[in-house]
Amino acid sequence: MKIITWYGILTIGDDGVTECEPFNKDVDELAELLLQKDVVAYSPGSGFDIRTVAIECGFVENDEEYNSLLRDVSIRAAKLQISRTNTPDMQIIQAVEALDDIDDVVNVLSERLSEWYGLHFPELGLSSEPLVRFVSEFGSRNNVPAEHPMFEKATSSMGSELPSADEELIMGFASNACELYDSRHSIEASIVRNMEKMAPNVTLIAGSLIGARLISMTGGLARLSQLPSSTVQVMGANRALFKHLRGRATSPKHGIIFNNPLVKNSPWWQRGKIARALAAKISLAARMDVYSGELHPEIKVNLEKKVNFIKAANPKPPVKQKPAGKGYKGKNKGGER
Amino acid sequence: MDVNEISEGIFEVRKGGKKILATKNANPGSNVYGENLLEEEGEEYRAWDARRSKLAAMVLKKMKVPIKSDSRVLYLGAASGTTVSHVSDMLPNGIVYAVEFSPRTMRELIQLCDTRSNIVPILADASRPKLYAHIVEQVDVIFQDVAQPNQAQIAAVNAGQFLKEDGHLLLSIKARSIDTVANPSKVFKEEVNKLEKDFDTQFKIIKKHDLAPFHEDHLGLVAKKKLKEN
Ligand SMILES: C[S@@+](CC[C@H](N)C(=O)[O-])C[C@H]1O[C@@H](n2cnc3c(N)ncnc32)[C@H](O)[C@@H]1O
Repeated sequence: MKIITWYGILTIGDDGVTECEPFNKDVDELAELLLQKDVVAYSPGSGFDIRTVAIECGFVENDEEYNSLLRDVSIRAAKLQISRTNTPDMQIIQAVEALDDIDDVVNVLSERLSEWYGLHFPELGLSSEPLVRFVSEFGSRNNVPAEHPMFEKATSSMGSELPSADEELIMGFASNACELYDSRHSIEASIVRNMEKMAPNVTLIAGSLIGARLISMTGGLARLSQLPSSTVQVMGANRALFKHLRGRATSPKHGIIFNNPLVKNSPWWQRGKIARALAAKISLAARMDVYSGELHPEIKVNLEKKVNFIKAANPKPPVKQKPAGKGYKGKNKGGER
Repeated sequence: MDVNEISEGIFEVRKGGKKILATKNANPGSNVYGENLLEEEGEEYRAWDARRSKLAAMVLKKMKVPIKSDSRVLYLGAASGTTVSHVSDMLPNGIVYAVEFSPRTMRELIQLCDTRSNIVPILADASRPKLYAHIVEQVDVIFQDVAQPNQAQIAAVNAGQFLKEDGHLLLSIKARSIDTVANPSKVFKEEVNKLEKDFDTQFKIIKKHDLAPFHEDHLGLVAKKKLKEN
């Protein structure tokens, strides 16, 4: 029987070790070997002491050398493992989280700006990014040029004047928020790029941002590929619920794939069915991305066929069943015609 | 200030009427997690806060820590190395295998390993000892602090693979990681029962003590393997 140890391969006979094939005594090589996948199949039996054999077969001279070599090798190996867990999908997960962080912050900032700038130009009617860009560009409403669509409103505003010291403050505040929006756009662009490289099929089916969110929520592409599609369909629903509670989003009942245009742009009675078909194809696409990484455009073709079929089979909203039972005040109970 | 060795490698430093638990700094001049450094007779000690370490709490609860200067220790659930660093201090001629499965946490542990000569970091799941049986030798002590529902099983499979016949298991059991609502003493009783009977490797409990007020709802435990009778 052969077993693997960090320093070599041992052959075990009836009365102990019969052969020892040590590896090269090189820290980098030993570290790579330490991380082999099939160690479990060749692992030393319970109670087998690998240290004594290492010294007996002359791989190391004594306990001190054993300790210091093993320490160096395992530190090197752990560092390798860590750098390998920094995979493209980890980058994507961090990027998605960063987007959410920025959203939280810019929301707070732009709400503040809206209140603050509203003292001076209450008629502006802009919010979030357009508001922030406007303020950082013009400052006081007196600087809005004649050809600007807001010029009329600016010249007739009932807001108070903005002293130049305050103008400087408020423009600085707005330009900080602008930079966050800029950063948001470049993070989004990098997600799009990375998704195309790493998960071309998921990107094709779900779209890069929704795909990235799915990967982020599951903790990686490999895990996404293992989930049943019924889970994919509702993923993000509770998150949406929390956002909804904070007044930031609509449609708390559905998973994030409901933001996909195929679902979103369909009439409400088809959405559930289309979402189910979409989720099934996303699961398939994730498996393709994990196993081959090549683009399979036919998944999209099949999805579109399926969607068209659903649309053709459900052209009209279903007639709502009248709820029967207590509390219903209709004249006829459901069922008869 | 005077110093009293209360167990091999573990000291009580008296300073201004206070007793401070400490270990002798194996990397003089630097601390690891913000703990105080204490000078005495040309030796440097690192203060060891029982609120931040189950093992330190066990020491203060007068549980005998069977670690010697040349012990080989397997530490399961090393986290970023707060306690591992003190174990490392206790082992001038020994070695500690530090198993941790979170890569994020391992990143910090590796920084500690770089400054110490006796810590072997292992990024692996402690419930699968075969994943590191090619690295870890037979050990004198297993210390385990993983805060997982299957912690009794983790202790059993690791002791089966790695613990010497006369070696010791030191275990910290966190009631809430097993059952968030049940009464802790009931949870502890069940866990002890599992350790004594449930697995291939069975334990004889030598000492147990709850770790309050340092750690609420935690039980500290010292055990040995029951020798197989055949
Ligand atoms: C309570 S903390 C340990 C604190 C540490 N003993 C100290 O005092 O510095 C528990 C640690 O165990 C790790 N852990 C949990 N389950 C594990 C497992 N199955 N294998 C390896 N590590 C695990 C966790 O990631 C966490 O870092």
